[in-house]
Amino acid sequence: MRYLKWVVLVVLTIAGIIGFAEEVLPGVPRNEVIIIEDPTGRSLNPTRFNLWGGGVSSWSTGIQQLCLGALWYIDPDAGIEGEPWINLLAADAPLYNDNKTEMTVKLRKGIYWSDGVPFTADDLIFTVETLKNHPEMTWGAYMQVNVQEVKKVDDYTVVFKLVKPNGRFHTIFTVRWSACYIMPKHIFEKVEDPVAYEFYPPVGTGPYVLKSYDPNGYWFLWELRQDWERSDLGVAFGKKPGPKFVLYKGLASPEKKVMDQMAHQLDIIHDLPPEGAITLHQNNPYCVTWFDGWPWAHPDPTLPSLIMNHEQFPYNLKEVRWALTLAIDIVQVVLQSYNGCATISPIHVPPTGKDPEWYFDKIEPWLKDFTIKIGSETFKPYDPTIPTKIADAVKYAYGYKVPDDPAEIRKMVGYGWWKYSPDVAEKLLKSVGFKKEKGKWLLPDGKPWKISILCEAATRSVMTRAAAAIAEQWRKFGIDAQIEAVESSMLWTRMNYGEDKDTIYWAWCIETWGGHPDLFWFLESWHSDYYRPTGQTVVAKNPMRYKSEKIDKIIDALRQTDFFKDTDKMIDLGLEYIKTCVEDMPIIPVFSYNVFTVCDGYYWTGYPTAQDPYTDPVPNWGNTRFMFIKLQPTGRK
Amino acid sequence: MKDFLRFIVRYFITRLLISLLVIFIGVSIIFLIPRLVPGANPAEMAIRRLQMSGAYLPADSIEKMKQALLKLYGLEGSLLKQYTTFWKELLKGNLGPSFASFPTPVMTLIARSLPWTVGLLALTALISWVFGTVLGGIAGYRNKGLWVRVLEIISNAVRPIPYYILALLLLILFAYVLHWFPTGGAYQIGLTPTLSWTFVKSVVKYGFLPALSLIIIGIGAWFLNMRNLVSNITSEYFVTFAHQMGLRDSIILRSYVIRLAMPAQLTGLALQLGFIFNGTIITEIVFNYPGLGTLIYTAIMQSDYNLVMGTTLFSIVAVAFATLFVDLLLPFIDPRIQYVSG
Repeated sequence: MRYLKWVVLVVLTIAGIIGFAEEVLPGVPRNEVIIIEDPTGRSLNPTRFNLWGGGVSSWSTGIQQLCLGALWYIDPDAGIEGEPWINLLAADAPLYNDNKTEMTVKLRKGIYWSDGVPFTADDLIFTVETLKNHPEMTWGAYMQVNVQEVKKVDDYTVVFKLVKPNGRFHTIFTVRWSACYIMPKHIFEKVEDPVAYEFYPPVGTGPYVLKSYDPNGYWFLWELRQDWERSDLGVAFGKKPGPKFVLYKGLASPEKKVMDQMAHQLDIIHDLPPEGAITLHQNNPYCVTWFDGWPWAHPDPTLPSLIMNHEQFPYNLKEVRWALTLAIDIVQVVLQSYNGCATISPIHVPPTGKDPEWYFDKIEPWLKDFTIKIGSETFKPYDPTIPTKIADAVKYAYGYKVPDDPAEIRKMVGYGWWKYSPDVAEKLLKSVGFKKEKGKWLLPDGKPWKISILCEAATRSVMTRAAAAIAEQWRKFGIDAQIEAVESSMLWTRMNYGEDKDTIYWAWCIETWGGHPDLFWFLESWHSDYYRPTGQTVVAKNPMRYKSEKIDKIIDALRQTDFFKDTDKMIDLGLEYIKTCVEDMPIIPVFSYNVFTVCDGYYWTGYPTAQDPYTDPVPNWGNTRFMFIKLQPTGRK
Repeated sequence: MKDFLRFIVRYFITRLLISLLVIFIGVSIIFLIPRLVPGANPAEMAIRRLQMSGAYLPADSIEKMKQALLKLYGLEGSLLKQYTTFWKELLKGNLGPSFASFPTPVMTLIARSLPWTVGLLALTALISWVFGTVLGGIAGYRNKGLWVRVLEIISNAVRPIPYYILALLLLILFAYVLHWFPTGGAYQIGLTPTLSWTFVKSVVKYGFLPALSLIIIGIGAWFLNMRNLVSNITSEYFVTFAHQMGLRDSIILRSYVIRLAMPAQLTGLALQLGFIFNGTIITEIVFNYPGLGTLIYTAIMQSDYNLVMGTTLFSIVAVAFATLFVDLLLPFIDPRIQYVSG
């Protein structure tokens, strides 16, 4: 009895603290708020929303999805109204003069900033001039290099005079994940230092305003503007976004994401390891994934590849690069990395968005005829039956339900890949002086051939698993191959310097629009004008240090094309690029970056899917802004 | 008085100077390491972060932006110049801006996370230490009881469980199955941090599971350490002699056994309190708890020199002074330890 009162006191105190199950947001019904994962996790500086000034920890807090607006968007999928090109703040596509030294922009009328000030040409001009004066700002150096003058014709028309002809100038203002957003002049003109300015609270043209945030950076709550009709989405589409509140929440642990969604406390998960997504699909009857079943994931227009530095022997030899390609059994790699849910690509374009129609359908006949010559022998390496082999393998290994129609399977996991041909790979290596002794490959100088595949560690588990699977294939072939898993920033830093001996990088340097066939966006920096030797950090997207006169000519020709009119020519040049790359195999393309974005249909409906691919569901993309006018409450409380 | 002055001059000042030297060397190393790592250039990292996150930075403009950022970050000039500037600013209490979160001052970032880390870790470290030491001491001295066996089994069972698994188990049980505690965060979403009862209650409720996970792991370790120490001491001749002299058990336990076991436990506690400033990244990840762990991790990953300096500076100073404190304290506890100047 002596201790009883203490026990009772402790129990009552704990019970008092625990209380009853609480709402996600006090005073806000759950069915009015959509909860979305911010994959960045924690924002270290949560009051900083100045994307132009830099130093913003996360761009996925809603700032680029709900608040700031851009002139144009290219959707990586079909687009909200069936057209990937979307004019948002702009009334129309940009208009260039004949020699591409001037670009005219017409702006939409009737859009207001969230604090009630009208959006006009002054905002666009102020944005460009501020950036031009500050090369340290996010798009500042670009403006300084490219813009000679920007002038106002009237309140809704702006003309850019460019330093040199540039028919791709508009792409800086065109969202593919992100772009240069427009500043509110009436806010920034009062600021002494536009870099240091926090931009809190943020003022945007988007349909939501920041309601509150976590000072520790784990969540951001946005509320629908009362005057949402005057926002960019309201004026452009006239449709009211479904959610009254949007909560972006940082979560680092995949187990927690799964448990939160099972409890209907997390509506959109950005990405999960395959097992997590499949578990949710099997156990949550309200689960919505891009494909409603195998292979579930959304293929992003990004192409993870094996990237070899051409300045490091033996990766300067085409025969070696091709031999490594043919020593990979892609079916096994897909099974071991993505549980059979990868979308493979034999060519140097990701098989996503509209790229299959523009490039894969057109190039496949050429691929089937493509021949490798080894001395007097020839070999056709392309295997169009690999998607069916993957489907059969996942059916056998995991018991997933797969379609019978090969055409359907190709839509899900890609067109084909290179034949697993270690015998041909062996001949290729021997043709350039390699020797095989006791089942192990020796370099022409007699030293053992070692490869370390540098890949991302646990943060992208599918990438680590794929690297391990490829290393296993190469070991089986007789190469002393291992993986080295490091943090993402370390991988990209080391790859950009390219100084690691015996190393092949497992990363990506090919990213397309998905909703537009122009490859200039990523290809420009492959031009030999931007070549940097090993030891100097690479410019943009040529970490393999590939030099090709043919590619230079293709880039120069692309530069001359009209982004809006010369679609066929851009595709033809793209096909030339693909052929050149297949012949040279500068990097080994493997599959698109498939994202297991998993949505919960308990409170909300209208998520984008392969059946209704109106946008990319991956919530850190700026393009997901368009999702909010499709999302509607289910009525559940 | 004379002895005290001699102690101050010959021992305390010497030890204090050694601690300050340790801090100077530690801070200098932390200044140099990130700057000597190949490829860890903050301007290039900033550009790469933008590229990796998808922002379009065409080839022409990248070099220009890099130079502009280096100037902005104050990273122009020789290493020696940067080093002297760094010490001048540090002595004024200025750790400079974070590069990854530019221009947010490093002190602001640390100040946001520090209270959560110190609050959680200091409290759980002390609770674990007190319970682990007391129970371990009693268990080591009276090692035949049933409850001693039960405690040993529990401690031995808990200790090898990876912390991540234990934390997840607690989360699943108490947050997802029983719904007694929230799944993560430091307090209820939507609340504004104030000194109100609602906010304090929320902080306690949200901090309960992270604290419990740390206490369970901590108690087990302290319990086993203390039990082993006490078991060894009780087999010493002087303890046997004390028993034969007919001294009471409580006197033997307090004055002969516990007193001699305490230096090791106190040293461990002081060092653990010093290491608090490293944060606990796994706790922060599993429970979405704010703290220094994620700050340090981000700083290292993003080559944020100033933030690396700032976060590790606290740890270096804390560990150096914790060691000094223990050195000064131990002679009062264990008569076998004496002050001897270098």
